[in-house]
Amino acid sequence: MINQLPILQLLLFLGMALSIPLLRKRRFNTTLRLGFIVLCLVLISSIFIYIHVISEGPILYYFGNHAQRLGIEFKVDAFSSFFTMFIVILAMIIYIYSSGDQTEGIEEKEYGRYYILFFILMMSMFGILYTNDLFNTYVFIEILSITTCAIISIKRKKDTYTSAFRYVMLNEIGSLSYLFGVALIYMATGYTNMTLVYESISQVWQTFPVNLIIAISFMIVGLGIKAAVFPFHIWLPDAHSSAPSTSSAILSAIVVKVYILVLTKVLFRVYGIDVLEALNIPVILMVLASIGMIMGSVFAIAQKDVKRMLGYSSVAQVGYIILGISLLTHDGLRAAFFHILSHGLMKTALFLSAGAIIFYKKTRRINDFDGLGYIMPVAMGLFSIAGLGMIGIPLTSGFISKLNLGLAVLELESWILLAIIIVSSLLNVIYYLPIIISAFLKNEKYHYRLETIEKTPKGMLIPLIILGVLIIGLGVFPEPIMNLIEYAITSLQA
Amino acid sequence: MNFLTFLVENINYLGGIALFLIGLHIVVTHSNLIKRIMGINIMGTGVFLFFVAIGYVKDGIPPIIIGGEPIYINPVPSVLILTGIVVSVSITVYSLALTIRIYQTFGTIDQKEISKLIQEEEYHD
Repeated sequence: MINQLPILQLLLFLGMALSIPLLRKRRFNTTLRLGFIVLCLVLISSIFIYIHVISEGPILYYFGNHAQRLGIEFKVDAFSSFFTMFIVILAMIIYIYSSGDQTEGIEEKEYGRYYILFFILMMSMFGILYTNDLFNTYVFIEILSITTCAIISIKRKKDTYTSAFRYVMLNEIGSLSYLFGVALIYMATGYTNMTLVYESISQVWQTFPVNLIIAISFMIVGLGIKAAVFPFHIWLPDAHSSAPSTSSAILSAIVVKVYILVLTKVLFRVYGIDVLEALNIPVILMVLASIGMIMGSVFAIAQKDVKRMLGYSSVAQVGYIILGISLLTHDGLRAAFFHILSHGLMKTALFLSAGAIIFYKKTRRINDFDGLGYIMPVAMGLFSIAGLGMIGIPLTSGFISKLNLGLAVLELESWILLAIIIVSSLLNVIYYLPIIISAFLKNEKYHYRLETIEKTPKGMLIPLIILGVLIIGLGVFPEPIMNLIEYAITSLQA
Repeated sequence: MNFLTFLVENINYLGGIALFLIGLHIVVTHSNLIKRIMGINIMGTGVFLFFVAIGYVKDGIPPIIIGGEPIYINPVPSVLILTGIVVSVSITVYSLALTIRIYQTFGTIDQKEISKLIQEEEYHD
């Protein structure tokens, strides 16, 4: 029975997406509640799967009971179920927020369509994490990229269309590059199943080194475009600035991370550490990550639009994660995985609070943030917590991830990387701190006047408060999560 | 002579790579949105050709059992690519729909003119 549970989760998402148009005649609240029940069910089953996987080992599921080399295989282990849990929790927070945020640029008619896309998005992300087949990953990646493009272009505004078009084009180049990589791996090994490819790659890599190097470079470029790794990030700021805030939060906090996880799977499950080190791949990733960490922050400083700034900041933060992965050590992976969580939380918090501010003040220019701390204390307070987390101030989760990353780098005694991490953190200070200072210290006419406080709907306030608590909670008590991450890392390398 | 035999023996792989590069060139350099979508399709065709070419066995026949012991080609890549073609059609449909919307709002499908229009708008703000 438990073997069927991962597939049931996918079917549940798909069924929910299909039933939204059928519920069109009912009141929209019914649909929203049903969707929330679906998310709750998936969360419960994810926790159940996670406990089962840790105690009894991975769940293997063969579609149609075909042999491993012919059919599609789902492999659900601690790694994938841990991240599906994380995705569902974040998605639930964003879902609650988006149901309170009904008018942000999406027309009434399109509102149901937004949730259809949301559930198909969730389905494809779960599929990407569960599947153990390179080609099946490609199919899920394509579903994911179409739905993300659609969720960006859902607002009927001029600039969303052009930025969505650019995103489609770059995404498609990325997907096709990934498929080319799969083709080259298939040529060398004759399999698309990750486990079988891993077994045969360790034998054939000396016979076909060129094939495998070109394949991994194609995959790094392809997934790099989608994950906004530095030189391929050009689509990201445009896509963020024009999309609705909830879409930006989904895109930056979850979707980008899923592509990084695919890259992690390709690196550790398909190639394996020995082959990667022999082919000298980690150095390339390390260089890309370091440039991204610096340049993303430098670009962010120059931005006037708050959402564009957050977009460029994502580029820098993706650099940290890629750096952690490229160290290929246990500590590096731990730092990277922790940063995936903490950046997911902090970026969601930043986008949602910026969304609340844009919703009420109808402004997205950073200069207009003066004195906002006295008008919207919750939204701006959360923005400050998350901003401080991005900088890496102690007591926030950002501090723990930077500390771990620093320790992982120190273990390899590479002082240049440590310097880059510190410089990048200092650059973060330059663009987050002035906003916080001007929001709380400037424009004194608003000081201590309770009647100036804006009323935000509860549906928007509660998720913001939950996010703030989670960010600080993760910063004060990181151990329980660290233990879960340990399981994920061991299952990844097994 | 050696080069020529290499060329002839690997013509299907080289063709796939050539199509991929031609498509990439079109996507990156052209400013007409329809041409860029066509470029994506050409790129996709290149990858698909490359993938199918892997499954080809010299003197092989399609895998339909006819008795005797003929050499069959490997059917798995062709089956995988069938899925790939469907996916690429849906991407094409989505981007063409987006192009229609762009034409309705801007009155042009040329990337350069669109960016000019957007810049002028920002200037007026």
